[in-house]
Amino acid sequence: MPLNSSVRETGNIIITSGDRLTIENAAEFLQIIRDALEASKHVAIEFEPAVEIDITGLQILCSACKSAAVLGAIFTYHGPQPPALTDIIAGSGAERHAVCKHNNDSTCIWFGGTN
Amino acid sequence: MEEAIATYREEAGELLAELETSLLDLEETPDDNELINRVFRAMHTIKGSGAMFGFDEIASFTHEVETVFDMVRNGKMIVTKRLLDLTLKSRDHITYLLSCPLGEEVDRSDGDEIIAGLRQLVPQIEMPQKGSSDVPVINLPPVSEEELANESTWRIRFRPATNILMCGTNPLSLVNELRDLGTAHVVAQFDEIPPLDSLVGENCYIYWDVILTTTRGEDAIKDVFIFVEDDCDIRIELIDKSGLIDKDQGYKKLGDILVERGDLSPVEMQKVLTLQKRFGELLVEQGIVSPEKVQSALVEQQHVKSVRKERSETPQVEAAASIRVPAERLDQLINLVGEMVTVQAHLSQVSMAGGDATFIAISEEVERLTNELRDTALNIRMLPIGSTFSKFKRLVRDLSSELGKEIEMETFGADTELDKTVIEKLNDPLVHIIRNSIDHGIEMPEARKAAGKTSRGTVYLGAEHSGDSVLVTIRDDGAGLDRDRIRAKAVERGLISATADVSDREIYAQIFAPGFSTAEKVTSVSGRGVGMDVVKRGIDGLRGTIGVDSVQGSGTTITLKIPLTLAIIDSLLVKIGKDHFVLPLAAVEECVELTREDIKNSHGRNLANVRGAIIPYIPLRQHFCITDQQPDIEQIVIADIHGTKVGFVVDHVVGEHQTVIKSLGKMYRDVKGVSGATILGDGTVALILDMGVLLQSVEES
Repeated sequence: MPLNSSVRETGNIIITSGDRLTIENAAEFLQIIRDALEASKHVAIEFEPAVEIDITGLQILCSACKSAAVLGAIFTYHGPQPPALTDIIAGSGAERHAVCKHNNDSTCIWFGGTN
Repeated sequence: MEEAIATYREEAGELLAELETSLLDLEETPDDNELINRVFRAMHTIKGSGAMFGFDEIASFTHEVETVFDMVRNGKMIVTKRLLDLTLKSRDHITYLLSCPLGEEVDRSDGDEIIAGLRQLVPQIEMPQKGSSDVPVINLPPVSEEELANESTWRIRFRPATNILMCGTNPLSLVNELRDLGTAHVVAQFDEIPPLDSLVGENCYIYWDVILTTTRGEDAIKDVFIFVEDDCDIRIELIDKSGLIDKDQGYKKLGDILVERGDLSPVEMQKVLTLQKRFGELLVEQGIVSPEKVQSALVEQQHVKSVRKERSETPQVEAAASIRVPAERLDQLINLVGEMVTVQAHLSQVSMAGGDATFIAISEEVERLTNELRDTALNIRMLPIGSTFSKFKRLVRDLSSELGKEIEMETFGADTELDKTVIEKLNDPLVHIIRNSIDHGIEMPEARKAAGKTSRGTVYLGAEHSGDSVLVTIRDDGAGLDRDRIRAKAVERGLISATADVSDREIYAQIFAPGFSTAEKVTSVSGRGVGMDVVKRGIDGLRGTIGVDSVQGSGTTITLKIPLTLAIIDSLLVKIGKDHFVLPLAAVEECVELTREDIKNSHGRNLANVRGAIIPYIPLRQHFCITDQQPDIEQIVIADIHGTKVGFVVDHVVGEHQTVIKSLGKMYRDVKGVSGATILGDGTVALILDMGVLLQSVEES
């Protein structure tokens, strides 16, 4: 399934990752998230298990999390984290177990907290 | 590299010996933290150095064992017999892996079995919950002692150019290159990632804090960034160096680290310090420093603390305190010193003959220096005998368990030094003696109790200096030798006559005869009558002697008297006709004259009256069939052979002599009574006589 978003009956938006969240489609991913957070207070990502993720993908997730906190929206993911995400979190030293001041002092659900 | 691998093999061998000793000691005192740490350190070094030299099998196997001992060290497990059994087996498996050619396939079955056994012992420990701590647990990989000397820890802040990704460079690959340099802890900083409305998807906003412990130096770190240094902000600071910076095991406080990094001002720090809360929490609460920065600083703190703890636990290399030299080079040195001793003897002879006072003075000075050189060179090859004791402790442990006996081994005089070659050659005789003590000497626990002894038997192994020899004593508190059975067996085999009046010592000496055994059954340990023959041959080969003492019901003591060295000995140079012979000085007691009248008075019985004592003598002239003119007055060299005084008749006693021992060629090796040869100052050859064998051959004839 390609990178896109869909609105559920509840108004929640689901973004499907497609097979890559890398620099090649960073602009597209960024725009989809921007649009989703403008349109809904609940945005979730569904990752393809074999999705490829690089630093740009990681940064967009972090930025989206910060923006959602400011907007009072929920930005989360469904299902398990894909291996590519856990790998890049570990490889880049991105694990966070402490609270994040950009996320209303909550632990980070993306980089080490619990979803 | 091959040389380095050989050195590793050698060092690992030593560490394995130390490991074995420590494990056996730990069995006696399982709570001894120093021993536990010693075991851990030995495995740690074997693993670390193994990985460094490509012994990946050893590294990965040892890692498993080390992990278990780390738990013991941290009080999460206790030392049990099962753990020690498995660790001793691990030691054997590492020895096997060490002997395998590098890169070739190895048999992992034993290793897998040991690891499975060890894993069963590991208690299920509750894992820390995610999010329960701000600071990750830092486990550092091992560092070898040599590496420790050059090890430094660096704080690196790598802030890539925003467009780095667009330029085709992946900053993570640079971070990974840093990881390859040593032990790194990486914290990515996200505080500069903007909200979505101002984010440019292809830009890089993340920057990294890396704490790196490496032996590679600053240039290696700079090389990682060589292609991006103009566009990126790179800060490299030395924060810890082995032996130079702050030897304390602890590390800087969190506030100091943040101030050093520029993430906190000193004024802000002072302000926060006035409040009574955890510093990191306060900084985050007040919004002065982001949690990421605090986490990064805490990682640095933990990293350096771990490095320092590791360093303090690893014995430091004392530079130049000792060096490792291949044994062959020492052998070569001894050979050269031997040649020099011979040349010096020639020089002394020539100078004395010339009568020139100046020449004689120089010759005497050379003699003094040569003697010092000889003693020093021989001392270099001296090793403490204790290095072999641990092997025997293991032997006792394994055999006693195999035979269902309770036996412990006590050692003494482990520091006693002996020539390396002698120690190596002592191994087999000691193995056989100890096996015999365990199998035939020490009784089963019930039998011991019935005899009023403790159920646990003891085998004592010790060494002590005695003049130019070392006495190695093996004593057990077992049943002792059965004098009558040995005598009966010796009579049956025709070794002694049924009516002969022989001392206990002579009867006990029969146990060393080839094939001699009083055992009713042959066990896997002993009983075939081969072992003690090996002992006899081994000790004879070392020019040593064996003494046996036994009290039935109380135990047996076997004493081996071994010369300190096999290379150069003090001896007595004698002459018969035109030939020179050498008698080892250690056994010589005195020299007395033997006149034709004395010979006539003995009526062909070869007995001399020395101050009222009748001393039997062996006329060497006849023994060696020397037909030159016999002098009117001969000399008897009286020696103590196994407690018996025996004379050896020679024409002249030339005097004391430093004898450099040369082995005999194949053709002469089996000549009885001659143990070697030496070259005299004038180039002539003198045979070294083995007085014990000479006496025996005369007795037999």
